[in-house]
Amino acid sequence: MQYAKKLLDEVGIDSRRVEMFNMGASDAQKFTGASDKMTERARELGPNPITAKKP
Amino acid sequence: MNEFEPKVVAFCCQYCAYSAADLAGSMRLQYSPNVRIVKLMCTGKVDVIHLLKAFEGGADAVFVAG
Amino acid sequence: MIVADRKPLEQISSMIEGNNKILIVGCGECVSVCMVGGEKEVEILASQLRMAAGKEGKKIEIGEATLERQCDKEYLELLKDRIENYDVVVSMACGAGVQFLAEMYDHKIVLPATNTRFIGVTEGEGVWTERCRACSDCVLAETGGICPVTICAKGLLNGPCGGTNDGKCEVSKEKDCAWTLIYNRLNKLGRLDSIREIFPAKKYNVQTRPGRRIHEAFKEKE
Ligand code: SF4
Ligand code: SF4
Repeated sequence: MQYAKKLLDEVGIDSRRVEMFNMGASDAQKFTGASDKMTERARELGPNPITAKKP
Repeated sequence: MNEFEPKVVAFCCQYCAYSAADLAGSMRLQYSPNVRIVKLMCTGKVDVIHLLKAFEGGADAVFVAG
Repeated sequence: MIVADRKPLEQISSMIEGNNKILIVGCGECVSVCMVGGEKEVEILASQLRMAAGKEGKKIEIGEATLERQCDKEYLELLKDRIENYDVVVSMACGAGVQFLAEMYDHKIVLPATNTRFIGVTEGEGVWTERCRACSDCVLAETGGICPVTICAKGLLNGPCGGTNDGKCEVSKEKDCAWTLIYNRLNKLGRLDSIREIFPAKKYNVQTRPGRRIHEAFKEKE
Protein backbone atom coordinates (compact mmCIF):
# COMPACT_ATOMS: atom_id res chain seq x y z
CA MET A 1 0.00 0.00 0.00
CA GLN A 2 2.88 2.34 0.84
CA TYR A 3 4.41 1.51 -2.51
CA ALA A 4 1.17 2.21 -4.38
CA LYS A 5 0.86 5.53 -2.60
CA LYS A 6 4.39 6.50 -3.52
CA LEU A 7 3.84 5.58 -7.17
CA LEU A 8 0.67 7.67 -7.28
CA ASP A 9 2.27 10.63 -5.57
CA GLU A 10 5.06 10.50 -8.13
CA VAL A 11 2.47 10.90 -10.86
CA GLY A 12 0.79 13.70 -8.95
CA ILE A 13 -2.31 11.78 -7.95
CA ASP A 14 -3.11 12.39 -4.29
CA SER A 15 -2.23 9.18 -2.49
CA ARG A 16 -5.13 9.65 -0.08
CA ARG A 17 -7.26 8.33 -2.89
CA VAL A 18 -6.16 4.81 -2.10
CA GLU A 19 -6.59 2.89 1.16
CA MET A 20 -6.66 -0.58 2.59
CA PHE A 21 -9.31 -1.83 5.04
CA ASN A 22 -9.40 -5.03 7.01
CA MET A 23 -12.71 -6.65 7.80
CA GLY A 24 -14.37 -9.96 8.47
CA ALA A 25 -17.22 -11.56 6.56
CA SER A 26 -19.78 -10.31 9.06
CA ASP A 27 -18.51 -6.74 9.22
CA ALA A 28 -21.22 -5.23 7.05
CA GLN A 29 -20.91 -1.92 8.86
CA LYS A 30 -17.20 -1.80 8.29
CA PHE A 31 -17.76 -2.28 4.60
CA THR A 32 -20.37 0.44 4.34
CA GLY A 33 -18.15 2.66 6.48
CA ALA A 34 -15.19 2.14 4.17
CA SER A 35 -17.35 2.78 1.10
CA ASP A 36 -18.76 5.98 2.48
CA LYS A 37 -15.40 7.16 3.72
CA MET A 38 -13.72 6.69 0.36
CA THR A 39 -16.62 8.25 -1.55
CA GLU A 40 -16.48 11.21 0.80
CA ARG A 41 -12.76 11.49 0.33
CA ALA A 42 -13.09 11.39 -3.45
CA ARG A 43 -15.67 14.18 -3.23
CA GLU A 44 -13.25 16.23 -1.15
CA LEU A 45 -10.34 15.67 -3.50
CA GLY A 46 -12.40 16.21 -6.61
CA PRO A 47 -12.27 14.27 -9.85
CA ASN A 48 -9.30 12.12 -10.76
CA PRO A 49 -6.94 14.57 -12.53
CA ILE A 50 -6.61 12.22 -15.48
CA THR A 51 -10.32 11.99 -16.33
CA ALA A 52 -10.77 15.65 -15.53
CA LYS A 53 -8.63 16.44 -18.56
CA LYS A 54 -10.55 14.20 -20.91
CA PRO A 55 -12.92 16.17 -23.11
CA MET B 1 -19.37 17.74 -15.67
CA ASN B 2 -21.60 19.75 -13.38
CA GLU B 3 -22.47 17.39 -10.54
CA PHE B 4 -19.33 15.45 -9.63
CA GLU B 5 -20.19 11.87 -8.73
CA PRO B 6 -17.03 10.09 -7.73
CA LYS B 7 -16.24 6.63 -9.01
CA VAL B 8 -14.90 4.43 -6.27
CA VAL B 9 -13.45 1.01 -6.95
CA ALA B 10 -13.36 -1.58 -4.17
CA PHE B 11 -11.18 -4.65 -4.49
CA CYS B 12 -12.83 -7.21 -2.24
CA CYS B 13 -11.83 -10.60 -1.06
CA GLN B 14 -14.56 -13.09 -1.89
CA TYR B 15 -14.55 -14.47 1.63
CA CYS B 16 -14.44 -11.46 3.85
CA ALA B 17 -15.15 -8.05 2.38
CA TYR B 18 -17.37 -9.34 -0.41
CA SER B 19 -19.43 -11.28 2.12
CA ALA B 20 -19.53 -8.18 4.26
CA ALA B 21 -20.82 -6.19 1.30
CA ASP B 22 -23.34 -8.91 0.58
CA LEU B 23 -24.47 -8.86 4.17
CA ALA B 24 -24.76 -5.07 4.07
CA GLY B 25 -27.12 -5.66 1.18
CA SER B 26 -29.28 -8.20 2.99
CA MET B 27 -29.32 -6.03 6.10
CA ARG B 28 -30.58 -3.22 3.86
CA LEU B 29 -27.79 -0.95 5.07
CA GLN B 30 -27.46 2.22 3.07
CA TYR B 31 -24.08 2.85 1.59
CA SER B 32 -22.50 4.90 -1.08
CA PRO B 33 -23.86 3.99 -4.52
CA ASN B 34 -20.61 5.20 -6.06
CA VAL B 35 -18.74 2.06 -5.16
CA ARG B 36 -17.99 -0.53 -7.84
CA ILE B 37 -16.89 -3.83 -6.44
CA VAL B 38 -14.25 -6.05 -7.96
CA LYS B 39 -14.51 -9.49 -6.42
CA LEU B 40 -11.31 -11.45 -6.01
CA MET B 41 -10.51 -14.88 -4.67
CA CYS B 42 -8.25 -13.20 -2.17
CA THR B 43 -7.02 -9.64 -1.79
CA GLY B 44 -3.53 -11.08 -1.52
CA LYS B 45 -3.73 -11.15 -5.29
CA VAL B 46 -4.09 -7.39 -5.57
CA ASP B 47 -0.92 -5.92 -6.96
CA VAL B 48 0.00 -2.25 -7.18
CA ILE B 49 -0.49 -2.46 -10.91
CA HIS B 50 -4.21 -3.18 -10.41
CA LEU B 51 -4.53 -0.11 -8.25
CA LEU B 52 -2.70 2.02 -10.79
CA LYS B 53 -4.82 0.64 -13.63
CA ALA B 54 -7.97 1.52 -11.72
CA PHE B 55 -6.83 5.14 -11.49
CA GLU B 56 -5.73 5.08 -15.09
CA GLY B 57 -9.22 3.91 -15.97
CA GLY B 58 -10.65 6.94 -14.25
CA ALA B 59 -11.37 5.88 -10.68
CA ASP B 60 -11.50 8.78 -8.22
CA ALA B 61 -10.71 6.62 -5.24
CA VAL B 62 -9.75 2.99 -4.78
CA PHE B 63 -9.77 0.77 -1.76
CA VAL B 64 -8.80 -2.75 -0.99
CA ALA B 65 -10.90 -4.60 1.55
CA GLY B 66 -10.05 -8.00 2.90
CA MET C 1 23.34 -10.14 -9.09
CA ILE C 2 23.42 -6.59 -10.35
CA VAL C 3 21.32 -4.32 -8.19
CA ALA C 4 19.70 -1.17 -9.51
CA ASP C 5 17.24 1.50 -8.44
CA ARG C 6 14.54 3.06 -10.51
CA LYS C 7 15.01 6.66 -11.51
CA PRO C 8 12.36 9.05 -10.21
CA LEU C 9 9.38 9.40 -12.51
CA GLU C 10 10.11 13.08 -12.95
CA GLN C 11 13.51 12.34 -14.44
CA ILE C 12 12.15 9.70 -16.79
CA SER C 13 9.34 12.01 -17.83
CA SER C 14 11.72 14.79 -18.71
CA MET C 15 13.95 12.43 -20.70
CA ILE C 16 11.07 11.35 -22.90
CA GLU C 17 9.55 14.83 -23.14
CA GLY C 18 8.18 15.59 -26.56
CA ASN C 19 7.96 11.98 -27.71
CA ASN C 20 4.62 10.31 -28.13
CA LYS C 21 5.57 6.75 -28.93
CA ILE C 22 7.61 5.11 -26.26
CA LEU C 23 8.74 1.53 -25.96
CA ILE C 24 9.61 0.39 -22.44
CA VAL C 25 11.89 -2.62 -22.37
CA GLY C 26 12.38 -4.67 -19.23
CA CYS C 27 14.98 -7.31 -18.49
CA GLY C 28 14.19 -10.71 -17.04
CA GLU C 29 17.38 -11.22 -15.05
CA CYS C 30 18.94 -9.31 -12.14
CA VAL C 31 16.70 -6.26 -12.34
CA SER C 32 13.64 -8.49 -12.23
CA VAL C 33 14.89 -10.14 -9.07
CA CYS C 34 15.66 -6.83 -7.39
CA MET C 35 12.21 -5.61 -8.41
CA VAL C 36 13.25 -2.66 -10.50
CA GLY C 37 13.11 -3.56 -14.17
CA GLY C 38 11.16 -6.75 -14.78
CA GLU C 39 7.85 -7.30 -16.48
CA LYS C 40 5.91 -5.99 -13.52
CA GLU C 41 7.94 -2.81 -13.22
CA VAL C 42 7.56 -2.21 -16.95
CA GLU C 43 3.80 -2.29 -16.43
CA ILE C 44 4.02 0.06 -13.48
CA LEU C 45 6.20 2.59 -15.30
CA ALA C 46 3.94 2.43 -18.36
CA SER C 47 0.91 3.06 -16.20
CA GLN C 48 2.60 5.94 -14.40
CA LEU C 49 3.68 7.57 -17.64
CA ARG C 50 0.21 7.20 -19.16
CA MET C 51 -1.34 8.76 -16.08
CA ALA C 52 1.16 11.59 -16.02
CA ALA C 53 0.42 12.30 -19.68
CA GLY C 54 -3.32 11.99 -19.10
CA LYS C 55 -3.10 14.54 -16.33
CA GLU C 56 -1.72 17.04 -18.80
CA GLY C 57 -4.39 16.11 -21.28
CA LYS C 58 -1.81 14.52 -23.57
CA LYS C 59 -2.01 11.17 -25.25
CA ILE C 60 1.00 8.95 -25.50
CA GLU C 61 1.40 5.49 -26.87
CA ILE C 62 3.43 3.13 -24.77
CA GLY C 63 4.65 -0.28 -25.82
CA GLU C 64 5.78 -2.80 -23.25
CA ALA C 65 8.28 -5.60 -23.78
CA THR C 66 10.38 -7.63 -21.42
CA LEU C 67 13.30 -9.61 -22.74
CA GLU C 68 14.93 -12.61 -21.16
CA ARG C 69 18.13 -10.55 -20.96
CA GLN C 70 19.37 -7.33 -22.47
CA CYS C 71 23.03 -8.30 -22.32
CA ASP C 72 22.72 -10.87 -25.11
CA LYS C 73 22.21 -10.01 -28.75
CA GLU C 74 19.99 -13.02 -29.31
CA TYR C 75 17.34 -11.53 -27.08
CA LEU C 76 17.78 -7.95 -28.20
CA GLU C 77 17.21 -9.06 -31.77
CA LEU C 78 13.65 -9.96 -30.89
CA LEU C 79 12.82 -6.25 -30.80
CA LYS C 80 13.92 -5.73 -34.39
CA ASP C 81 10.54 -5.12 -36.00
CA ARG C 82 8.71 -3.73 -33.04
CA ILE C 83 11.23 -1.06 -32.18
CA GLU C 84 10.64 0.74 -35.48
CA ASN C 85 7.15 1.77 -34.37
CA TYR C 86 8.47 3.90 -31.55
CA ASP C 87 10.24 7.24 -31.23
CA VAL C 88 12.25 6.43 -28.14
CA VAL C 89 13.13 3.35 -26.14
CA VAL C 90 13.29 3.33 -22.36
CA SER C 91 15.33 0.45 -21.02
CA MET C 92 14.84 -0.81 -17.50
CA ALA C 93 17.91 -3.04 -17.52
CA CYS C 94 21.22 -2.34 -15.78
CA GLY C 95 23.62 0.07 -17.46
CA ALA C 96 25.19 -2.75 -19.45
CA GLY C 97 21.83 -3.80 -20.87
CA VAL C 98 20.87 -0.25 -21.75
CA GLN C 99 24.14 0.19 -23.64
CA PHE C 100 23.89 -3.06 -25.52
CA LEU C 101 20.37 -2.23 -26.57
CA ALA C 102 21.48 1.23 -27.66
CA GLU C 103 24.40 -0.29 -29.58
CA MET C 104 22.26 -2.74 -31.50
CA TYR C 105 19.66 -0.12 -32.38
CA ASP C 106 21.98 2.84 -32.75
CA HIS C 107 19.50 4.73 -34.92
CA LYS C 108 17.10 4.95 -31.96
CA ILE C 109 17.27 7.06 -28.85
CA VAL C 110 17.65 4.67 -25.93
CA LEU C 111 17.17 6.04 -22.42
CA PRO C 112 17.84 4.49 -19.02
CA ALA C 113 15.05 4.15 -16.46
CA THR C 114 17.33 2.81 -13.75
CA ASN C 115 20.41 3.80 -11.80
CA THR C 116 22.68 0.78 -11.59
CA ARG C 117 24.04 0.46 -8.09
CA PHE C 118 26.21 -2.56 -7.41
CA ILE C 119 26.87 -6.29 -7.49
CA GLY C 120 25.14 -7.67 -4.46
CA VAL C 121 22.95 -10.17 -2.72
CA THR C 122 19.40 -10.28 -1.39
CA GLU C 123 19.84 -9.73 2.30
CA GLY C 124 16.18 -9.89 3.18
CA GLU C 125 12.83 -9.13 1.64
CA GLY C 126 13.33 -6.04 -0.49
CA VAL C 127 16.83 -5.40 0.86
CA TRP C 128 19.99 -5.80 -1.18
CA THR C 129 23.56 -5.19 -0.17
CA GLU C 130 26.79 -4.86 -2.06
CA ARG C 131 29.28 -7.70 -1.91
CA CYS C 132 31.77 -7.32 -4.75
CA ARG C 133 33.45 -4.47 -6.61
CA ALA C 134 34.61 -6.63 -9.50
CA CYS C 135 38.26 -5.93 -8.76
CA SER C 136 39.46 -8.74 -11.06
CA ASP C 137 41.90 -10.08 -8.45
CA CYS C 138 39.86 -11.81 -5.78
CA VAL C 139 41.24 -12.00 -2.24
CA LEU C 140 38.39 -13.87 -0.59
CA ALA C 141 40.56 -16.94 0.05
CA GLU C 142 42.67 -15.00 2.52
CA THR C 143 39.91 -13.02 4.15
CA GLY C 144 37.57 -15.76 5.22
CA GLY C 145 35.14 -15.08 2.40
CA ILE C 146 34.48 -11.46 3.33
CA CYS C 147 35.53 -8.86 0.81
CA PRO C 148 37.54 -5.98 2.27
CA VAL C 149 37.69 -4.24 -1.09
CA THR C 150 33.91 -3.83 -0.92
CA ILE C 151 32.94 -3.91 2.75
CA CYS C 152 35.77 -1.84 4.23
CA ALA C 153 35.03 1.85 3.71
CA LYS C 154 38.65 2.39 2.71
CA GLY C 155 39.08 -0.84 0.82
CA LEU C 156 42.03 -1.75 3.02
CA LEU C 157 43.77 -5.03 2.34
CA ASN C 158 45.74 -4.98 5.58
CA GLY C 159 43.19 -4.01 8.16
CA PRO C 160 41.83 -3.08 10.45
CA CYS C 161 42.83 0.55 10.54
CA GLY C 162 43.05 2.53 13.75
CA GLY C 163 39.46 3.62 13.40
CA THR C 164 37.89 0.29 14.14
CA ASN C 165 35.61 0.68 17.13
CA ASP C 166 33.71 -2.16 18.81
CA GLY C 167 33.13 -3.84 15.51
CA LYS C 168 31.97 -0.67 13.80
CA CYS C 169 33.76 1.45 11.24
CA GLU C 170 34.96 4.95 12.05
CA VAL C 171 33.35 6.21 8.87
CA SER C 172 29.88 5.47 10.22
CA LYS C 173 28.49 3.74 13.26
CA GLU C 174 25.98 2.07 10.95
CA LYS C 175 28.72 0.24 9.09
CA ASP C 176 30.31 -2.92 10.36
CA CYS C 177 34.09 -2.87 10.34
CA ALA C 178 35.01 -5.25 7.56
CA TRP C 179 38.19 -6.25 9.29
CA THR C 180 36.42 -7.13 12.52
CA LEU C 181 34.11 -9.33 10.49
CA ILE C 182 37.12 -10.88 8.81
CA TYR C 183 38.88 -11.42 12.14
CA ASN C 184 35.85 -13.11 13.63
CA ARG C 185 35.33 -15.29 10.61
CA LEU C 186 38.98 -16.36 10.43
CA ASN C 187 38.89 -17.05 14.16
CA LYS C 188 35.88 -19.27 13.69
CA LEU C 189 37.63 -21.08 10.89
CA GLY C 190 40.80 -21.51 12.95
CA ARG C 191 42.73 -19.58 10.36
CA LEU C 192 43.77 -16.49 12.25
CA ASP C 193 47.33 -16.87 11.01
CA SER C 194 46.03 -15.66 7.68
CA ILE C 195 45.34 -12.17 9.05
CA ARG C 196 48.98 -11.79 9.99
CA GLU C 197 50.11 -12.10 6.43
CA ILE C 198 50.75 -8.80 4.78
CA PHE C 199 49.01 -8.34 1.51
CA PRO C 200 51.24 -6.93 -1.19
CA ALA C 201 49.85 -4.03 -3.17
CA LYS C 202 46.85 -5.04 -5.17
CA LYS C 203 47.16 -5.76 -8.86
CA TYR C 204 45.36 -2.74 -10.13
CA ASN C 205 46.72 -3.32 -13.59
CA VAL C 206 44.19 -6.11 -14.07
CA GLN C 207 41.39 -3.61 -13.58
CA THR C 208 41.61 -2.21 -17.06
CA ARG C 209 38.63 -0.36 -18.38
CA PRO C 210 36.60 -1.53 -20.12
CA GLY C 211 36.97 -5.07 -18.86
CA ARG C 212 37.15 -7.76 -21.45
CA ARG C 213 37.30 -11.51 -21.12
CA ILE C 214 37.59 -14.18 -23.75
CA HIS C 215 36.82 -17.77 -22.92
CA GLU C 216 39.72 -20.13 -23.63
CA ALA C 217 37.67 -22.14 -26.06
CA PHE C 218 37.03 -19.04 -28.13
CA LYS C 219 40.48 -17.48 -28.12
CA GLU C 220 41.58 -18.89 -31.42
CA LYS C 221 38.68 -17.37 -33.28
CA GLU C 222 39.60 -13.87 -32.11
S1 SF4 D 1 38.17 -9.22 -3.71
FE1 SF4 D 1 36.13 -8.38 -3.41
S2 SF4 D 1 35.87 -6.97 -5.12
FE2 SF4 D 1 37.57 -8.30 -5.65
S3 SF4 D 1 36.60 -9.94 -6.82
FE3 SF4 D 1 36.76 -10.64 -4.70
S4 SF4 D 1 34.78 -10.11 -3.83
FE4 SF4 D 1 34.97 -8.92 -5.72
S1 SF4 E 1 37.20 0.80 10.67
FE1 SF4 E 1 37.26 -1.19 9.65
S2 SF4 E 1 35.87 -1.01 7.89
FE2 SF4 E 1 36.24 1.06 8.63
S3 SF4 E 1 37.91 1.76 7.38
FE3 SF4 E 1 38.87 0.90 9.22
S4 SF4 E 1 39.27 -1.25 8.70
FE4 SF4 E 1 37.87 -0.46 7.13
